[in-house]
Amino acid sequence: MTPDQFRRLAETWGGDVERWPAATREAARRFAASAEGAAVLDEQGRLDRLLAVAPEIDEARADRSSLLVLQRLAAVPQQHRPAWYRRLLRWPTLVPAASLACSAIVGVWLAGAMPYVHSASDPLSVMSGVFDVYSIGLGSVQ
Amino acid sequence: MAEVSAQRQHAFRVLMRRHMPRALRVAERIVRDPAEADDIGQEAFMRVWTHAASFDPEVAKFTTWLYRIVLNLTFDRTRRRTFLPLEDAGDVPDMGPHAVERLIADEELSLLNRAMAGLSDRQRGAIALFHMEGLSGEEAANAMNLSAKAFESLLGRARTALKANVQKIQETGSYA
Repeated sequence: MTPDQFRRLAETWGGDVERWPAATREAARRFAASAEGAAVLDEQGRLDRLLAVAPEIDEARADRSSLLVLQRLAAVPQQHRPAWYRRLLRWPTLVPAASLACSAIVGVWLAGAMPYVHSASDPLSVMSGVFDVYSIGLGSVQ
Repeated sequence: MAEVSAQRQHAFRVLMRRHMPRALRVAERIVRDPAEADDIGQEAFMRVWTHAASFDPEVAKFTTWLYRIVLNLTFDRTRRRTFLPLEDAGDVPDMGPHAVERLIADEELSLLNRAMAGLSDRQRGAIALFHMEGLSGEEAANAMNLSAKAFESLLGRARTALKANVQKIQETGSYA
């Protein structure tokens, strides 16, 4: 590392070689051991100390700000659970209800539209019907 | 943070107690106005609360995330601002037992504030994170959303400008 490179790094990162980029530290430590290197670091160290001075934030001020945040959060309107009739009017609930209503309407319409057929009451027809029911009972898979 | 994400106010209060001074300090270093710094600190924690679910501890530390929020808010405000705040007035002298040390510290702080006034917001932000908050170059670059090289360049320019301002103030008594 040349003296110029060392000075440029010190002017950027300050007087503490340990805070410089990792790749430069090893060479910088060697140069820092020289009188020239130490003088550069000392000069930058003075600026570092000045830059490290932080505005004083007392606890009461920080607490006041925290309290104001909580007050602002409390003022934000909460999302209430909607009333039951509003929940019923949402489309996911309306789909099954509408299906049921449609089925009922179709059923009533079919009942009105289809002709009513009277079953025959002569003995042959009765016997034939019984037979049919019997044969269905025997033949079907139950 | 997991509890804050679950909207538990107790955890949020603990988080604010721990980190609010940090947010106020960085904001004040950049905007140089305590009242505005307080506003920024409060707004930053409102965002922490509302965006807590988007925080990923595997991507960044909470402090880095908080610094980023504070810096974004600060830069937004200073961009919109059309006036500069009045320079800090002198504080009332402290008559306590450490008055002399306090006076020296106050003078240093006053000198620093005057010299910092000549820097850009981003330069003040770089100095605040690296020197005042003690972040590494990588952490500070991450908080400022910059590449390591860009941060190095920003910090170098900030220190050079600040040093020149300090020298000018010490020689002439004022920064102009």
